[in-house]
Amino acid sequence: MSGQSGGIADERVGPWSQPQSSEALGGRRLKLPFIDNIWRVRGELLLDKPIAPDEAFARLDPLFRAPGTTYNVDDDTLTYTKRNPAAQDPLATFTRGSLRIAPQGRGSVLRYDLSSTALLLCFLAPLLFLAFAQIAVGMNAWEKANVEASEQGKKDEDKPKAIKKLNPIDEFLGAPAPEDPSKKKDKKKDKGRHSPTPAYVLAGLFFTIYLVGRVLEPWLIRRRLRSALAEA
Amino acid sequence: MAGVQVGKRIIGADSPVTVGWENIGRVEGGPFKQLFFTYFQPAVLFALIAFWFYAPNQWALASIGIAIGLGFKVFLLGLEWVNPRYRSWQLTWKEFATDVFYVGLGYTILRMLDSYIGDGIMVEAVQGAFDWDKFAWFTGLPLLVQALLISMIFDFGQYWMHRGMHNWYPLWLTHAPHHYITQLNINKGAVGNPVELFLIGLGVGGFFDFLPRAFLLAGAIGMAVGTYQHINVRFNTPAWWRFIFNTTEHHSVHHSQDYQATRSNYSGTWIIWDRIFGTCVDGEAELLGMEGGRRMDIRETMTFPFTEGYKSVKAALGRRTGGGGTTAPQLEPAE
Repeated sequence: MSGQSGGIADERVGPWSQPQSSEALGGRRLKLPFIDNIWRVRGELLLDKPIAPDEAFARLDPLFRAPGTTYNVDDDTLTYTKRNPAAQDPLATFTRGSLRIAPQGRGSVLRYDLSSTALLLCFLAPLLFLAFAQIAVGMNAWEKANVEASEQGKKDEDKPKAIKKLNPIDEFLGAPAPEDPSKKKDKKKDKGRHSPTPAYVLAGLFFTIYLVGRVLEPWLIRRRLRSALAEA
Repeated sequence: MAGVQVGKRIIGADSPVTVGWENIGRVEGGPFKQLFFTYFQPAVLFALIAFWFYAPNQWALASIGIAIGLGFKVFLLGLEWVNPRYRSWQLTWKEFATDVFYVGLGYTILRMLDSYIGDGIMVEAVQGAFDWDKFAWFTGLPLLVQALLISMIFDFGQYWMHRGMHNWYPLWLTHAPHHYITQLNINKGAVGNPVELFLIGLGVGGFFDFLPRAFLLAGAIGMAVGTYQHINVRFNTPAWWRFIFNTTEHHSVHHSQDYQATRSNYSGTWIIWDRIFGTCVDGEAELLGMEGGRRMDIRETMTFPFTEGYKSVKAALGRRTGGGGTTAPQLEPAE
């Protein structure tokens, strides 16, 4: 199986996603030993029985036969790239990586090194939402300044709204009577109309989603690789 | 594929679509599970109506409505795990994170933009131009009647906007990214180009000065019905509900890979609009999306209307000037 390449590439695959050798892939990567843990997952899977690279990659082959995937097998190493994989693609989160099989003791070991753009973007997403929060705060301050400037020397000409009445049927059924609509307005003015709270909540939510993904996705991929290799 | 004739159209000729309620799947399991997934939807609808009808004024706030909506969605995410409609639509971490990103845009930057250019501004302008006091009798109607009117008028607007998106190419360009979703999950309704999300949010219900409580009731009806459009849960929805309300079954037909099936079920809440205007197809589909189920990433979703629009204009100008402009096949509106 040495030197074999394949995969189901969709029509939109660009030249950057052509099969690459492990050297090319490794050589292009930046040396960021700690920071790259944000988006990279490395691990090894010990196999009790010895397995030849050809056989191991044949068992893993179904994982790479997916739309948008290109892969290359070079001796004991498989490298792959994915462009916008399908939602149910088992490797959807990790769009680039290499897998190497080697003998170890009486068995074999599969060493994998996978990269995930999704994990990186998810890690960065809180920054985007914090920026949205700051825009909301800035817009509130800007609007408040504008309103104060325009209200100087001008009387409030808004006529108070009439309190509405309930329909007798609703009164009979016990629905609470409507409030005076003029009461609520002032409260909102002080806070500004753009609340930064949803943006802060989303920043926190994305940080949580990242942490869950950083733990869950490596665990799932390890399970998938193990079960694929265990198949007879 | 032969397909099934519905009215004058053949549904399911390009991709499998199950037509007819008698042919769709049912909830499998014990009596409690059957009972739960049969009456859950009506029970929630009536409970929410009762809540908003009787809630004290200090509770009758839009923020409480949003909080209930979020809690409801979290609960429904749980139901997706317990009783999925299709295993092939199972929510993955990446899909969830992607969906939350779109939801997040809607709650933050898009909401901010909408406050300057959205329907609220237009409604204010129209309300300022007419003597709407003459319509004050509206607020004297019973609350539920007001709520039904708001919900149905708003959905009527959405129906025609949605149908317009499937019929007029410039509008279709904004809506097309939403049709590249390949599975239905609870937050998939938010997936799409921001221009489309803005357009579909334009409502005519806001022109009338209804009571705030009536708006909250209408919102509750929309939430307790419209939320199920994009959901991966198998329900034994009662027949009366399927007749008047939109369901995930209807919407899966609308999102199917079958061209003719996508020309159906445009409403958001009231499927009776589709029945009245002859676009309703009762059924369900599993294979969803465009171009054989190609998933569209976030970057392409954001740029698609503009890049495709540019290509189309360039091609049209090329043809007009006789310069032999490219005649690359264009994406057709799904209607």
